[in-house]
This record gives sequence, C-alpha cells and structure tokens, in this order.
Amino acid sequence: CSDYQKLLKSESIADKFKAGDSLYQAGKYDKANKLFAQIVPNYKGKPQAEKLMYLYSSSFFKMKDYYVAGYQFERFVSSYPKSEKKEEAAFLSAKSYYMLSPVYTKDQKETRDAIEKMQEFINIYPNSEYVSEANKIVNELDFKLQQKAFAIAKQYRDIAPQYSKDFNAAIKSFDNFIFEFPGSSLREDAFFYKFDAAYQQAMNSVEYKKKARLEQAKEYYDAFRKSYATSKYVEDADKMASELDEELKVYSTKS
Amino acid sequence: QDLNYDNGKKYTLGSVSVLGNTSFNEQTIVAYSGLRKGKEITVPGEDISNAIKKLWNSKLFADIEIYIAKVENDVAHLQIRLSDLPILTEVKITGVKKGKVEGIINENKLKKGTKVTENLITTTKNFLVKKYKKTGFYNTKVNINTIEVKDSLEKARVKMVVAIDKGEKVKIKDINFEGNTALSDKMLRKAMKGTKKIKRIRLLKRSKFIDSAYQADLTNIVTKFAENGYRDARIISDSIVVNDDKTISLNIKVEEGKPYTFGDINFIGNSVYTDQQLNRMLRIKKGDTYNGVLLEKRIADNSKPDADDITNLYQNSGYLFSSINPVEVSADGNVIDMEIRITEGKAAHFNSVSVVGNDKTNDHVVYREIRTRPGQLYSKANVVRTVRELGQLGFFDAQEITPNFNNPNPNEGTIDMEYSVKETGSSQIELQGGYGGGGFIGTLGLSFNNFSIKDIFKKDAYKPIPMGDGQKLALRLQASRFYQTYSFSFSEPWLGGKRPVQFSTSISHTKQFLYDYTTGNADKSKSFNITGITLGLAKRLTVPDDYFTLSQAVSYQIYDLNNYNTGLFTFGDGSAKNLSYTVGLSRNNTRIDPIFPTGGSNFSITAKASIPYSLFDGVDYSDLKDERDAAEVVRDDTTRSTEDRTAAQDRIGEIDQKRYKWLEFYKINFKGDWYTELTKNLVLKPSMEFGYLGAYNNDRGVIPFERFFVGGDGLGSYSLDGREAIALRGYPNQSLSDQDGGSIYNKFSLELRYPITLKASAKIYALGFLEGGASFNSFRDYNPFEIKRSAGLGVRIFMPAFGLLGIDFGHGFDTIQGDTGTKHGWETHFIIGQQF
Repeated sequence: CSDYQKLLKSESIADKFKAGDSLYQAGKYDKANKLFAQIVPNYKGKPQAEKLMYLYSSSFFKMKDYYVAGYQFERFVSSYPKSEKKEEAAFLSAKSYYMLSPVYTKDQKETRDAIEKMQEFINIYPNSEYVSEANKIVNELDFKLQQKAFAIAKQYRDIAPQYSKDFNAAIKSFDNFIFEFPGSSLREDAFFYKFDAAYQQAMNSVEYKKKARLEQAKEYYDAFRKSYATSKYVEDADKMASELDEELKVYSTKS
Repeated sequence: QDLNYDNGKKYTLGSVSVLGNTSFNEQTIVAYSGLRKGKEITVPGEDISNAIKKLWNSKLFADIEIYIAKVENDVAHLQIRLSDLPILTEVKITGVKKGKVEGIINENKLKKGTKVTENLITTTKNFLVKKYKKTGFYNTKVNINTIEVKDSLEKARVKMVVAIDKGEKVKIKDINFEGNTALSDKMLRKAMKGTKKIKRIRLLKRSKFIDSAYQADLTNIVTKFAENGYRDARIISDSIVVNDDKTISLNIKVEEGKPYTFGDINFIGNSVYTDQQLNRMLRIKKGDTYNGVLLEKRIADNSKPDADDITNLYQNSGYLFSSINPVEVSADGNVIDMEIRITEGKAAHFNSVSVVGNDKTNDHVVYREIRTRPGQLYSKANVVRTVRELGQLGFFDAQEITPNFNNPNPNEGTIDMEYSVKETGSSQIELQGGYGGGGFIGTLGLSFNNFSIKDIFKKDAYKPIPMGDGQKLALRLQASRFYQTYSFSFSEPWLGGKRPVQFSTSISHTKQFLYDYTTGNADKSKSFNITGITLGLAKRLTVPDDYFTLSQAVSYQIYDLNNYNTGLFTFGDGSAKNLSYTVGLSRNNTRIDPIFPTGGSNFSITAKASIPYSLFDGVDYSDLKDERDAAEVVRDDTTRSTEDRTAAQDRIGEIDQKRYKWLEFYKINFKGDWYTELTKNLVLKPSMEFGYLGAYNNDRGVIPFERFFVGGDGLGSYSLDGREAIALRGYPNQSLSDQDGGSIYNKFSLELRYPITLKASAKIYALGFLEGGASFNSFRDYNPFEIKRSAGLGVRIFMPAFGLLGIDFGHGFDTIQGDTGTKHGWETHFIIGQQF
C-alpha cells in the first residue's frame, strides 16, 4: 500500500489538505483532486475553504475537465466575493467554456456560451490583466461563428449547380452573413461568392427570368467592386461581369 | 377575550412546551414549528397558524393545536398539543392475485413506514375502485381497515387490511336504441368503439362496461348522426338495466332531427387559388348530405400530417400564416350555406435555416440533406421530408428530430427554421473468440457509420475515433488455423461534396488451407485464395422522382487454387476470375425510422453481368461440352480401368478450367418491400424477391459461382464462391437449394411488426411472419407456386453499439430432404444485422 493509498483512507483532513496541496504544486493534479474531493465537505464554512476551493477548481481545469472546472470556478466566484483570486477565477471560469468550444463545423452552443461568459468578464473587470487575452478569445470564438456561417453559405453555392439548383439559398445565406458579421474578415469573400452565385444562376437561367437575373448579378458585382476595388478576386469578377454584359446586350438590342 | 385577527395582541414568546402522544423530541418539534424563544408574536395572528401549517406539512402529526398556557407581562408561554400519526407496519391485500399485490402497494405508496392518514385511506380506496371500474369490474367494492399494533414500543403503529371485492366483470347483454330511423341499430352499435355487447366470436374487443368509455361512445353516436346529415341529433335519455344473469342492458333513446344538406359553399378571401381549385380539394357539392366531420377533414385533417386538404395546399406553397375557417352563414330550412373564409397572409420565406445538436456530425453532412433552404418559400411537405431524411442518415435519433419555427414575422413574410437533432451512437464493434471448425476462431469487426477519413491523421479528432463526415468504414478480420479472412470497405455518400454521388469500395482476401489428416493441422501446401475488389458509384436521380438511385459497380475476384483437391471443383490447380459489372436501380421512400419504418416502400432491381467472352474468344464450347460429356461417361463407368477413369477425370478438370478461367454469366435480382401502418404502430410489411442467374452460351453452361442458396437466416457466413444466401425462416440454412445452389429463386413474405419500445438507447419490436420461397435449377423447372411455406414469430432488438440482433422461431409447413414427417416443423434462427 503506497503512502497515497494510506492518505486516501486516512481520517485526518488536515493531512489530506497538506498532501493535496503539495501534489498540486508538483503537477499531480489527478491525485490532488481526489484528495480535495474527499475533504471539500469538511471545510465548508471554515477559513481554509477559500484556498481549498480554488485549488480544487484549478485541479479540474488542469485535468482538462472543463465542464466541471467552469462550474466550480463560477461557484468560487459567487461564494468568495471578497477573494483576491476572484478575478482570476472568473476569467478561468469563462476560459473553461472557451476550452469546450468545438470545431466550427459542429454545433456551436458552447462557443456562444463562451462568448457570453467572456464578454461578461470583460464588462465586470474592464481593467483586468486578463482583458487582452479575453478579447483575443472573444475574437477567436466570433471568428468561428463567422467561419461556420460562411462555410454553410458556401456549401449552398457548391451544391447548387449539380444538385439543388438553388442559387438563391447561397445568395440569401451570404446576405445574412454580411448582415450579421459586418466587420468580418470573410466579408470580402462573401461579397464575391454572393456575386458568383448570382452570376452562375443568371448564366444558366431559364429564358423568362434571365434578364432580371443578369441585372441582379450586375448589381451584386457593382456592390462588390465598390467595396473591394483591390480584392484578389477583382480579375475574376471583372471577367464574369463582362460576360454578363455580353449576355445583357441581347436584351438591349431587342427592346 | 376578544379574538379578532386585525387587532391581535403582541407578545414576546416565552417557553414552548409540547404535550400529547409523540415520540419526537420536544426541542425538535419546537424548532420545527419556528416558534423561537424571545421572538415577538401576535396572538391571534400569522405566527401561530404558520407554526401549525409547518407541523402539519411535515406529515408526521395529527390533531395539532397550539394554546397560550399563560401570560406574564407580555410574555406568552405556549403549549403545543399533538399526536403522532400512526406508521404503517404491514399491508394485507385480499381479493386480488398475489402477483398484483406488489403493484397495488407501489401505486398507492403503501410502503412500510408510511404515515397513515385519513387522506391516504380515502385516496387508496378511490384509486382502487376507479382502477377496477376502468377494466370493466363495475361493481368493485373496496374496504380498508386499520388495526392498531400494541406492543412494548411506544410509537403508534397500524396494520392495514385492504379488502378488494371486484365482483363479476359486467358484460353488456344488449344495446337497444329507440328513435332511430335513418341509421340502423347495427350502425350505431358499430359507432360505439369502447362499449360492445357480448358476442362469441369477438376477440379483440371484449364486452365490458366502462363508464368513461360509455360516455365517449354516446358522443360517438351523435357524431355518427352528424356525419350523415342529422346535425341536430341528440340523445334524449339513456338507462342501464341490470339483468338477472349479472349482465346489463343499455337503452338509449335518440332524437334524430331532420337531415340537412349542404347549400352554397363559397370561398372568401382566396387569391392564390381559384374557387375551382379549392372545390377540387373540398370535393363537397351543393345538395350533398351535410357532414361536418368530413368538411372539417377536407379543410384540415389532423390525423395525417401529409393529407390532401386545403390547409396543406396552402401550407405547402408558402402560406405558413394562412388560416381557414368554415362558417355556416345560413340554415334556411334544412339547407346549410357555408362560407369558407380564408386569410392567406403573406407567403413566408425561410430566412435562416440552422441545425443544433450536431455535436459529432459536421455541418456539411447535415445541411446538404436539408430541403428547406434560406430564401425558399415555406413548404410543410419539405419540412416533413427533411425530418424523414435526416432520420434516415442514421446519425441522429430519428424519434427526436424536431423542426422548430423561430421568429415568425407575418409582416415581412419570413420565418427561421431550426432542426434540433440528437446524436446517436453509430459505430459497432465486434470482438469474438471461440472454438469451431476444428480450432480457435478469432474475429475482430469494426464498423464506423459516421467516419471522417480526412481526420485520421489529426490527433485531436480521436475522441475516440475521427467522426462526423458521414463516411462508412468497416474492417473485419477473422482467423483460425484453417482460414483467414480480411475485408475492408469504405464509402463516401457525397463524392466531391457537390452532389449525392456515393462512392464505395471494398477489398477482401480469404485464404484457406486443407486439413492434413496425418498431423491434424492445416496443410500449408494446399491452399485456396480468394481476393476481390469492388468499386461502386451510386447516384441519386431526380427523374422519375427523387427517391430513385442509380448505382453502378465494377468488381473483380480471383479464385486461386493450389493443389486444393476437394469435391468443390473438378480441378485442384488453377484459377477462376470473375470480372463483372453491376447496375442497379432502386427507389426508397420508407419513413421515418430506418430501424422501424412505418410507411413507404423500397424497391430495387439489379443486373450483374460479365463480358460475353464466348462470343469472341474463338473456343468452340459445344465441342468442349461434347468432349466433357463423353469423359464423364468414361469416368463414371466402373467397368473401365482406373487409369482410363483418372485420365477422364483429369480431362474434365482441364475442360472446366477452360470454362471457368473467366466466369461468364449474367444475373438479375428484384426486391420489393412495402410498409403500411395498419393501426397506430402496427406495421404490415409484404415483400417479394426474385433472382435469376443465366449463361450467354448454353454450351459453356451456368457457372457454379454466384448461385442462390435459399433457407434459414440468410446470414452470408461462409461465402466462398460469391453465393447469395437468401433467408427463409422455418427451414435450416441453405436447405431449400441443391448442394450447388439454384440458378433461379423467388420468395414472398408477409410480416406484421409491433414496436415494444423505440427509445434511442434500445429499439425493440416483435414480429410475426408468413413466408414462402424456393429455388430451382433452370427455367424449365421454375414454378412460382411450388414454394416451401413457413410461419413464425420473432423479436428484434436494436442497440446503437451492437446493431440489430434478433431471434425468430419459424415453423416449416413443407418437407425438405431428410424429413420424416409431413412437415419440417420448428426452427430457431438467430439474426445479426438487417436481413429481413
């Protein structure tokens, strides 16, 4: 039986706390956490509880159990409003939610939760040393949401020519994207792809809708050109626009 | 003393004492009552009543009273008088079967230690009376007695005796109607769904009298009249007559009123659809018998989500905000003029469309299946279809996919759509070890139904395996001393991501050794190897409708024999190669749950063919056939010398090697399943299948590969030669075909399924089946009516981690070879995976 096993079975809560603390400092978070879990109820209401709860919460964070870490840090913040660790705990709580955020191609519930928690932290502690990191995280998370919306819109464009024939879905989704994320770095791409979807729709259109669609595509081209005159897509866009003009000539001579 | 609530007097609380028959500590009771010493209280006032309430709510005491014992200088001393409620020590229930006792105790919470209150006794009594009345025991009497237990313990305790007298089940001898002329008694009795009279042959609905069902049936009678134009029909009186033979008779007196007919039916407010179009949907003309139920159904049939009614006409073309109200504008005489008032509203378009809950599956896999895209006109049919198709992916629990409409905006005509899904386990692992076939057999099978091949080199993606791209990957390894099988298969449903073209590939290799009689071990010098590869593409079609799939595949197999002399082939050294092309057309619109479909059908027709080598390879097969036939005569002639016969046998081997060097054949399969929901949840599934294996060149002959083996569970366990195992329960595996298999087969079956549970963790259903089928060696022998028949029962369990498991008991009505009686009798089949 190792010393650790003996400790686990020991009756002395003070020994456990001491050993847990040194295990924590030595980076053995797993073992420390087990000891802490045993003594948390005993320290309820005692002055040492503040330190214990902080270490206990941190050990979850270090063990990458972010679900529990987020919750425990949150509890710490509300239980010890006068603690000097309060700010750090509040940040780590929000960061735990950030760590749970999955890749952008999956459901982003955790991402939205994390943004909310981080934003809350920034609002409460605007002068905190963590604010710059918090802002960085918020931006990173927000970019995930942008990537998600953009990828979905782009897929509508990708499946339209051969499968869905529904270019409007892409145009509408890019529209929603542009509206929802006005400062996005993907905005330029969104403008171009929106034009591209309208271009493809117009060029392959049935006759009776063609003219309106050509004109609409031209409108999107103008909007793109106005905002992004130096875009990497300009060359392609100009070429597509001239093709649209070519098609439109048919209608102007007819009338 | 003037006890007025408004001007209660203020006191400081002095001591509180407790009197009465209680086993609780005095301090505990005082503390619980909230009457702290030194507290300021008003008497009379809330403090005292709150204290009583608190004690009462503890459900531990009866007869709680609080008195002022004495008052000294504004200090009040209180006295609490109460007694403990008796505790239940034992319950005795008489009058029901032993097996039911436990249930009654649980339902009424009559556990040991429960406090016995008057309320408990009354509710238990009422509950039991109601419970038995509900099942037809109309004369149920329940009597509950409590007996005090007296012993050395001071606590008040009681025994409870619940005497239940169910009496006879009340049956209905006769149901008599009076006053009906337009509808016969029989029709009215039929309209009564839960109240039936005694009849010997009725099996499903037994005659019993349940008051609630009877009241509902009285309404059903009125509805029945209304459906036939008698809108004013009502029940004037009804009476129950108790007969001598413990049955009852029901006498129902009705007043029919006069029959009504429809007058003018006008549509008001319709601009999208013309009156003619709406009339075509309504199918009710002026002069028709008035039928309010039918009218309601044609406007909005709530029993079917995809019904042909006017509401759906609007709902499927974008008019989410539309509402349709039929109004009777005049009832002149017996003719009712109707106005159907339509508020069309603005056509709704989808603004944003989102999916939540896909924690494992990537967006692109889900969004490409969605038929309600942003900017599109709202259509209820497309929503329903999307839910169905998301369920069929198999990645989400089909029962839990819910479409949510958010932010409806009737002014702008927009709506947000959110599909809420719940991931379900879609990977299966099979790890097996056991003795069989003369030695240890180990099997490792892995199948991942939502794999992501692009993530296999990403460390982060292993939680526990890379998932979410909707690809299927399966690996299977099986090894024993005598054989080894390796197989790998992979499929991607949207190759390239631009359209639903499924790419699939599979590679397999089997190696087996002959048994060495001298050592009892595998003889490594005598082996038979089969190696195969298949590449396939399947494309969803849009014409004739978009439930169709066209699939194509190329496959190649080598059968390689090394000194492998068995009865299997006439040659021991050599090889056969099978290069074939398969084309299939299938249509699948089964819904909703892929494990337990309740509607739709599934058809497939496939053709598999090799190149017709004999057309151009310049070999004269008719010569070869003659030579082979001649050699066979020599071989089988026991009067010839052994040398001659061996030489003939060798020649046959050579000829066969030539015939099977490249397998030449074509094969056609047809399969069809239908699913119909007979009543709620009860699903009927008729199915039929047919297969034919033919040869281009009759002299070259039908190959001994790719054949059909009918009978048993249909599990393709030992597939050496591309054989197809066709399930037919009630007979042993492959028993309904020759040893070499048939070249033509057909099968018909009728299955009735009923779900026991359809939860995501485990789906279980029971089934009963009737089936029949047979295989034949050539078209000349073929007779679709000469089938082996069977019937039986079974159960299926689907658990996400194990796939589908089941057991069937089948009874074969016909004899097969080796049977002694007039029929084959019972067979038990264990089913793994989805065969039936």
